[in-house]
Amino acid sequence: MTPEFIEIGRGLCYAGAGLAFGLGGAGSAWGIATASHAAAGVMREKPELFGRMLVMIALPGTQGFYGFIAAILMMTQTGLIGGSQLKITLGTGLALFFVGLGAGAALFISAIKQGEASAAGISLVARRPEQAGRAILFPAFVETYAVVALLATILFIVFLTSPLALQYLSR
Amino acid sequence: MIPRIKNNPRWGFVSGRISVLEGRLQPREFFLNLIAQEHLEDLVPHMQDTFLRDHISPGTVWADFSDLCDRFFYEMTLSIKEECPSSIPADLFLLGGDYLNLKSALTGSSEFPFHFGLLTQEKLLTVSHGDYADIPPALRESEAGFAGEAGEIDPAILDIILDGAYLRNLLAMADDLGSELVTAYIHDRVLSYIVIILWRALRQQQSLRHYQQYLLPLGDFNHVVTELSGMSNVDNWPPVVGGVVGDILFESLELLSESEQIPGFELRVANYLTRIARDGKIQTAGPERVFAFLAGVQVEVQNLKLVMNGRLNRIDQTLLRQRLRECYV
Repeated sequence: MTPEFIEIGRGLCYAGAGLAFGLGGAGSAWGIATASHAAAGVMREKPELFGRMLVMIALPGTQGFYGFIAAILMMTQTGLIGGSQLKITLGTGLALFFVGLGAGAALFISAIKQGEASAAGISLVARRPEQAGRAILFPAFVETYAVVALLATILFIVFLTSPLALQYLSR
Repeated sequence: MIPRIKNNPRWGFVSGRISVLEGRLQPREFFLNLIAQEHLEDLVPHMQDTFLRDHISPGTVWADFSDLCDRFFYEMTLSIKEECPSSIPADLFLLGGDYLNLKSALTGSSEFPFHFGLLTQEKLLTVSHGDYADIPPALRESEAGFAGEAGEIDPAILDIILDGAYLRNLLAMADDLGSELVTAYIHDRVLSYIVIILWRALRQQQSLRHYQQYLLPLGDFNHVVTELSGMSNVDNWPPVVGGVVGDILFESLELLSESEQIPGFELRVANYLTRIARDGKIQTAGPERVFAFLAGVQVEVQNLKLVMNGRLNRIDQTLLRQRLRECYV
């Protein structure tokens, strides 16, 4: 394994980390904006409903945090933050790049769609405030898949950077 | 079939507001209850449940109820329009008053009885003084050629020319918006309007050839106008009209007495259009939501006018129930 390949592997890994938090954050911003537009329109007529809509406005924001967690984990596991630097092979770097890309894509799309689901829930609350509890369920179901994506990302990062995996991928 | 509707976050704010306002629209049972009230004064407390509650004061003159309803609808449409990324959904409802004002202007009058939409009072005054620079492009497109000598045109012909321009303008605006639902609604509304205009003209024994000459061009409907103008028997019209509007026309001709056919057709078409508009409710944010809501408010206003004016004029309750339109909610 030449040093150039190790550098490329490390670069790919951090590019994946960048995609995970970049796409997650962008999706969250988009989703929150979608929900906020609807909520602001509702508040023009019924400002007292703000409390019931707050959770639905905030829910699409979680994907940004999930992306951040994935990126931090990649950096700590590969030794960029603290600890000793691991020998990241090209194979490991490529695998981590796609893990980051997959996580980013899942978080980006789920955040946007969660924003739309929140806006739909906000429309329901506007007409029937007593349905606020049920309305939260719509975006919450979308959240499930962001959580699944985060869990899968964590498992991939942990196992890909384990000594056994690194040994296998450097063959 | 539900037309394809795409959520558009840019319309989120106004759609959120509409979500609240929709909750104030009344169902059919509300109007049936109003009709069933024994005394006229019993209707007043029920008005507090409607959008009109902010427009009704203790000194309200009930004879002006229609004006009050029209003013409410105009103000609501303008208020919604201000918050829309595109003014087209609201403009489609303001256009009718504009053309009625334009007719006054073209006949030289400086008094405009309807609320101003796209044509401001200044523009209309310019037209009434003989300067036709600001007339809508749809009016210039008339096949008969509107060169600006409105004062010399027979008022009946001017009516036809303005009807044609109004319908052209509606179709053009719906095309500009690019919404499948709005286009479907406007398409069938224009088609039904053509049928009603020609049917009324036929009943009044007017020459339909004038309509072929002055109503056109109407794009996809040119052949409908041309063919219907050549048929003096309404029973032969449904296949030419085609689609759901053609079916409604056939049903009206088959089931209703001659005097009831035109109002019955108008009512059935209005109900059909309301059913199209209801599909807009499934959208979270977008122009369809705005258009559908305004269509729903328009139906509510028409039902309120029907019930209040009907009760004021002691019209039979059964007849009022029959004339009641399907509600948006």
